Amino acid sequence: MNLFTSSTLLSLLILTMPIMASNFNSYTKKSYPNYVKTMVSYSFLVSLIPTMMFIQSGQEMMISNWHWMTIQTLKLNLSFKLDYFSMIFMPVALFVTWSIMEFSMWYMHSDPNINRFFKYLLMFLITMMILVTANNLFQLFIGWEGVGIMSFLLIGWWYGRTDANTAALQAILYNRIGDVGFLMAMAWFLFNLNTWELQQIFTLNPTNTNLPLAGLLLAATGKSAQFGLHPWLPSAMEGPTPVSALLHSSTMVVAGIFLLIRFYPLTENNKTIQTMMLCLGAITTLFTAICALTQNDIKKIVAFSTSSQLGLMMVTVGINQPHLAFLHICTHAFFKAMLFLCSGSIIHSLNDEQDIRKMGGLYKSLPFTTTALITGSLALTGMPFLTGFYSKDLIIESINTSYTNAWALTITLIATSLTAVYSTRIIYFALLGQPRFPALILINENNPLLINPIKRLLIGSIFAGFFISNNITPTTIPQMTMPTYLKITAMLVTLLGFIVALELNMATQNLKLTPPSKYLKFSNLLGYFPTVMHRLQPLINLLASQKVASMLLDLTWLENALPKSISSFQMKTSTLISSQKGQIKLYFLSFLITLTLSLITLNIN
Amino acid sequence: MTLVYMNMALAFTISLLGLLMYRSHLMSSLLCLEGMMLSLFVTMAVTILNSHLILANMIPIILLVFAACEAALGLSLLVMVSNTYGVDHVQNLNLLQC
Repeated sequence: MNLFTSSTLLSLLILTMPIMASNFNSYTKKSYPNYVKTMVSYSFLVSLIPTMMFIQSGQEMMISNWHWMTIQTLKLNLSFKLDYFSMIFMPVALFVTWSIMEFSMWYMHSDPNINRFFKYLLMFLITMMILVTANNLFQLFIGWEGVGIMSFLLIGWWYGRTDANTAALQAILYNRIGDVGFLMAMAWFLFNLNTWELQQIFTLNPTNTNLPLAGLLLAATGKSAQFGLHPWLPSAMEGPTPVSALLHSSTMVVAGIFLLIRFYPLTENNKTIQTMMLCLGAITTLFTAICALTQNDIKKIVAFSTSSQLGLMMVTVGINQPHLAFLHICTHAFFKAMLFLCSGSIIHSLNDEQDIRKMGGLYKSLPFTTTALITGSLALTGMPFLTGFYSKDLIIESINTSYTNAWALTITLIATSLTAVYSTRIIYFALLGQPRFPALILINENNPLLINPIKRLLIGSIFAGFFISNNITPTTIPQMTMPTYLKITAMLVTLLGFIVALELNMATQNLKLTPPSKYLKFSNLLGYFPTVMHRLQPLINLLASQKVASMLLDLTWLENALPKSISSFQMKTSTLISSQKGQIKLYFLSFLITLTLSLITLNIN
Repeated sequence: MTLVYMNMALAFTISLLGLLMYRSHLMSSLLCLEGMMLSLFVTMAVTILNSHLILANMIPIILLVFAACEAALGLSLLVMVSNTYGVDHVQNLNLLQC
């Protein structure tokens, strides 16, 4: 048991060593990126020890190190919760990060600030680990904000580009809206349960948890890009591909879902919140899958694919299956990171070309990348016995056999088939056919820094599902008996998606381009959501405030209301009722005569 | 009744006649208005000093203040007329325009 705590803390400590080395300028040997990558790989190997111990014994642990402060009756300390979720997620995240760091040694090779890039990636990883292993909400919030800040710094890595700065700011703003929900939940827990420790919250088991769970749902909506707070995720593709692979596919965006999964003892008793999660997740997955159908940037298609899978995870939490959602998080990390690495390889080989209409014919020139891309797409769509199958098929089965909202079910099935459609689109446009890029490019993928990470993630994409799901402790009992048509629903809709997409692509390959229809415009412009929300709201606000300030206050109230209205009123009325002609001397003379006559008449006695 | 009262009443009457019957200049009626104020002032001061009404000792001063204000008003009206026409002949005030 000693090995459990010490190896976990050692694994976390190894990650912080390159940060301290760069702070004190004590690493002067070969290359800092290589050092960081090696450290992450050591941390991964060390973190396998507690994971295997946990799998063998099933014993969860909580480390409570340092008592920070006590504010009246609230005790805050540094505590790590090493339970089922964090023990399995840590090696997965470290493995994926190790591969991504090795890949970015190839991708960002010509960048002068590559040391800083690796430091930022490492700081992101540290904050993500803090988030995952946090036992109280305060520490979780530290990790939460930390990943938000690192996301901002990494999306805006090429800060000379306006679009990148806008996207980074957009990510921060949308995450902030979610943070409001998180803070509300923290405040509710503080007031009603007098604690921020997860153990105490679950032991007390409060009854009316609508408000804090709604706050946590808002936080997950912001961080995991559910519908309503989703535009930041496709905009975040402005960052370099390793950033997209690490943050916006495997690790950061699952933080919101992870938070909801952590609170499963509270959500399993609250039907209202489950329904809200289900509907929100279903809307998200369908909407983003529709938007992914007509995008032309390969990274944006994969980003929308991530968003759609996040919606699917939210649906899974909504049908009260948090462990299946967690399994999907772990398996999704493998193949989504690999999809991003393959698209990074394609982009870099084609001299920074990201538009799939200008790719093609890479089947022959990038064979390894082609293999990985096709395997990753098959794993994503839930091909039997690849990685995605073990989580995605189980999710579809349990949503088919559970007493749930029929519309949410239908929408999720439609989104599953759309997953196959856009995956076919990527494969068809990027890999098959004749090349559509200029021919004078040297395409060479024969670099071990590129091949090895993709190879590792490829092996993970094929075997990790089998491996993980055979070794984890069984939690909820899956429904074992169901009619055949329900059992093969996922596979049928996926096959349908593949076939339809392939037929459409091949049939319309050589047709003339028509002007875009309204459905294409809806899908391509992300459902007009960014156009309306990003432009219309500020315009209305600024216009109203300008009108209020200048017209209402200044012109009307200060100038026109009293002074000018009085003067104009007086002039109008005086011209209306005056009937004189200005004969002053006559008037004075008549006054005098009247005065004299009256004086004489009244004194006649 | 002492002679000064009759004197001042005569001065008042002559100024009143001058205020109400003048030829062409507005300024002359304003001057007669000042004359009226002056005669009133002297009458009031003599009465109050002769009857030893101590509490009414400040009334002539207040009368002067109000006379000054009304003289100022009259002069500003004169200046406005003179701005428009150059001279203050009364026959110019025949336009009913604001």
